[in-house]
Amino acid sequence: MFRHGLPRRSGAGLWIVLALAAGSSLSANAAEPDWPAAWLEPARTASQLGIDSFSQSPVLEGQGLPPVEQRLPDDPVVIASLDSMGAYGGTARIIADDRSMFISPEGLFTISPDHKTILPNLAESWTYSDGGRRLTVRLRRGLKWSDGRPLTADDVLFTVNDLQLNSGFMPVTLPDFIGLELHAADPWTLVFTFPEPNPFFINYVAQSPEYFLMPKHYFREFHPDYASAGAIDARMEEMGFSSWSAFMITSMQKRLFPDLVNQPTLNAFQAEGLTPGLYTYRRNPYYFKIDPEGRQLPYIDAIEAQDVRENEVAVAKASTGQLDFAGVRLPTQDIPLLKLGERGSGIKVNIWNRLHGSDLSIQANMNIADERKRALFNDVRFRRALSMAIDRDEMNEIIYFGRGTPRQVTVIPDSDYFEPEFATAYAEYDVDAANALLDEIGLLDIDGDGLREFPDGESMTLTVEYVDTETPKQVSMELVASYWNAVGIDARQRLIDRELQYSRAIAGELEMTVWHADRTTDILFPINPDFWAPRKLAASLAMWSEWSRWYLTGGSLGEEPPPEIRQLQLWADELATTMDPERRVQLGKRILAANAENVWTIGTVGLAPHPVVTSNRLRNVVESGLWGWDIRWTMPYHPATWYLDQ
Amino acid sequence: MSELDQLSPGRLAWLRFRRHRLAMIAGGVLVFLYLLALLCEFISPYTPEQRNARAINAPPMEIRFFDADGRFHLRPFVYGLDLTIDPDTWMREYRDDTGTRFELRFFAEGEPYRMWGIFPADRHLFGVEQAGGEYFHWFGTDSLGRDMFTRVLHGARVSLSIGIVGVGLTLFLGVLLGGFAGYLGGIADAAVQRMTEVLQSIPTLPLWMALSAALPAAWSPITTYFGVTIILSLFGWTTLARQVRGRFLAMREEDFVVAARLVGANDTRIVFRHMLPSFASHIITTATLAVPAMILGETALSFLGIGLRAPVVSWGVLLQQAQNYQVIVLTPWLLLPGAFIVVTVIAFNLLGDGLRDAADPFSNPGKS
Repeated sequence: MFRHGLPRRSGAGLWIVLALAAGSSLSANAAEPDWPAAWLEPARTASQLGIDSFSQSPVLEGQGLPPVEQRLPDDPVVIASLDSMGAYGGTARIIADDRSMFISPEGLFTISPDHKTILPNLAESWTYSDGGRRLTVRLRRGLKWSDGRPLTADDVLFTVNDLQLNSGFMPVTLPDFIGLELHAADPWTLVFTFPEPNPFFINYVAQSPEYFLMPKHYFREFHPDYASAGAIDARMEEMGFSSWSAFMITSMQKRLFPDLVNQPTLNAFQAEGLTPGLYTYRRNPYYFKIDPEGRQLPYIDAIEAQDVRENEVAVAKASTGQLDFAGVRLPTQDIPLLKLGERGSGIKVNIWNRLHGSDLSIQANMNIADERKRALFNDVRFRRALSMAIDRDEMNEIIYFGRGTPRQVTVIPDSDYFEPEFATAYAEYDVDAANALLDEIGLLDIDGDGLREFPDGESMTLTVEYVDTETPKQVSMELVASYWNAVGIDARQRLIDRELQYSRAIAGELEMTVWHADRTTDILFPINPDFWAPRKLAASLAMWSEWSRWYLTGGSLGEEPPPEIRQLQLWADELATTMDPERRVQLGKRILAANAENVWTIGTVGLAPHPVVTSNRLRNVVESGLWGWDIRWTMPYHPATWYLDQ
Repeated sequence: MSELDQLSPGRLAWLRFRRHRLAMIAGGVLVFLYLLALLCEFISPYTPEQRNARAINAPPMEIRFFDADGRFHLRPFVYGLDLTIDPDTWMREYRDDTGTRFELRFFAEGEPYRMWGIFPADRHLFGVEQAGGEYFHWFGTDSLGRDMFTRVLHGARVSLSIGIVGVGLTLFLGVLLGGFAGYLGGIADAAVQRMTEVLQSIPTLPLWMALSAALPAAWSPITTYFGVTIILSLFGWTTLARQVRGRFLAMREEDFVVAARLVGANDTRIVFRHMLPSFASHIITTATLAVPAMILGETALSFLGIGLRAPVVSWGVLLQQAQNYQVIVLTPWLLLPGAFIVVTVIAFNLLGDGLRDAADPFSNPGKS
């Protein structure tokens, strides 16, 4: 329920928001009653709520800044807090990897906590027209970068036309930008046009805000269209970059390097100091959001982010109360240890759920060069047998304290595309059925050593190479290997590093591997159903690289996929472009149903508990949320409203 | 003639060795450990991969003779574990369930195994009636519910034998190359010396790491095991080779060598019959001291995740799985393999000390 009794005005009519995104109404999915109702709707503005006086953090007094009214946009955005409106001040302590969770990126749009709906943010509204081929986005008036310069359509034009669509900067255009045209109708109105209907482009803009917003006034000095090559080269040499494009990519990805300190931002915090091991941030005095009392957000004045590269160290710091917020480096298995800290260290362990449909996506490379393995991996009976040999309930007990959900690789239950059988297909632990299938294929234990051999008697081993990152992969694979061993399959594991995973997955050289499956929400599934249809080359998708390559190159490279795989690609293409919400759901379900039936990748346990540790002085953090890339971790939960209770 | 003069050199060495109390004890400990390792399938109550889902991260179970009511039982027993996952702390809490007594028995029936990989059997030296759902984890269990005692014993087999096999190779290489260099001198000597210097100048750990990374992923655990052994010994021979060479250089011109040569003995006979025995003490000492280095080397490699890997069980692999903060705080019994390593390494060092004295029975016992 909405707890703060804000005056409700029927201002919603002002918002020309076509709720095309999820194909369903907002209220139907408001499953989390703990959240302020205002979070599920387009944020109101000061004028709608009758707020006419504004105030700022005391730390900003006497810095020679213009008054707060002039720094805020013409009509500031009002964000309600979860529990209570905060007090200004304080320095939050986090580790560097949690910065993108603590400082949520601000984009044209944002994501609702229903995990389906796109809401306005820097843009005040948008309209689709021309059958979904044209998107008109209206920016709020008076928005400013952290150096006080105005944000206008020019900045977006610069980012899209001069960077994303500039082959000198992006030799390979990002897939979502292909065919895109952008112009400005006026300084506050952007018009995107697409060759095909593109109803989910707003999802992409909301989820990847960095790709659309670079401050032109700052970066034009580094762009060959605006500055002389000699001057740019000199600056690059000074900053230690090989080229202007390398510099800009680093900036766009917000990687840490000293010059980031000077770069204007729209986020709640801007980089202040970067010394080895410690990064400091201070509040952005031009941030565009206020609380219902007219006070400029964020509440917190500064952030100190320590550079911690080891999960162990992060866990130790978080459990002993040395961090105000921690999440990204905390493994599920360490929840009891973190909870120990609740007794004496002044912390709270919030249990969120990872949005990963499955913590493990076990992939057998169906395009592998070895003919015999290829035949095996393309045999649906083999994949089903591997899947049914896994005791997911035991995995859930052993690794997840019984609090995960045993399931296949599929979307989250809240998704419009979900059907329960997608999660349960061939996920039942059935050793007899698995053995029967393997016998049927002709894999028998010929030499009596308890392991199955190829029909000609040659021993058969599966080599699983993977990166142990994000989800508990190693311990899971150890269990999976032992389940497989019980049905006579000899699987050997090896940990490899990320670079190797990337290059070998793209080249189709990994025999088997393991990744985690996100893109399971209605934010990303409709545009990037990557785990369910071969349309992309990535480190996370090692099962069908050649079919993806065929798709991406229009058939000139790679291998032509068999009809049922080709069908997936066609369905996914149509899903991304159809304007008919019913057709969309139908297509999404077809893709997922085909995957459930064919077990192209094998899942284990998903929707797993994820510890998010907050210090007792950090307030307004939701107790349970979804944790993952699809929703940029904390974007729907408004980190700008978090405050430190001194 | 005194009695001493009539004793054989072997007898002399044994007398001398027995006077070294610590070495005797260390020898006993090592014999015991190697027996455990040799018979690990039989002695351990489980197989190393056997999981008990009712005992995940369970603490060591206490062997009792007296029950909760103070009654004495002739047959030792353990109490079953009552597992609850605390809804607030998420901690797996085990309480002794005094209602269930699992009696320990000798030659208990358990998971079938193959003794030394050959003879099928299902009797374990001791245990509880597993068929009846009973369980007994003397050293507790790991995060997958596997019996730590069993895993420590199976780890002992790999870790202890890697030392012996590795040292065997080291000795072979060291004596061969060192002897070759020292006896022949000249270009051969220079070549071996330079090779030694190069090898010694490379920091061992990164080199091990590079070589281990080069072991193919598809190798079976056993092949990897030999790969790791060879890697360790390829760099272990240099010190020994230096010592052997030095001794050979010094001894080459000694009277008894010259005499042997003048009598017409060939090089092989001179080297193996006359020269080598005269510094056997050195070789033995170096060997015993090299064994713990090998064991630690394996442990270090496996601890870093680049040596042996699951499903092979070695002490290093076990410690690697225990390398996190949670283990120290919540499940310290997973560090037990570390204690075994410490004991083994100390025992080998003491034994080496005793052997050095023994191999040179006429030296002053106080000086060494």
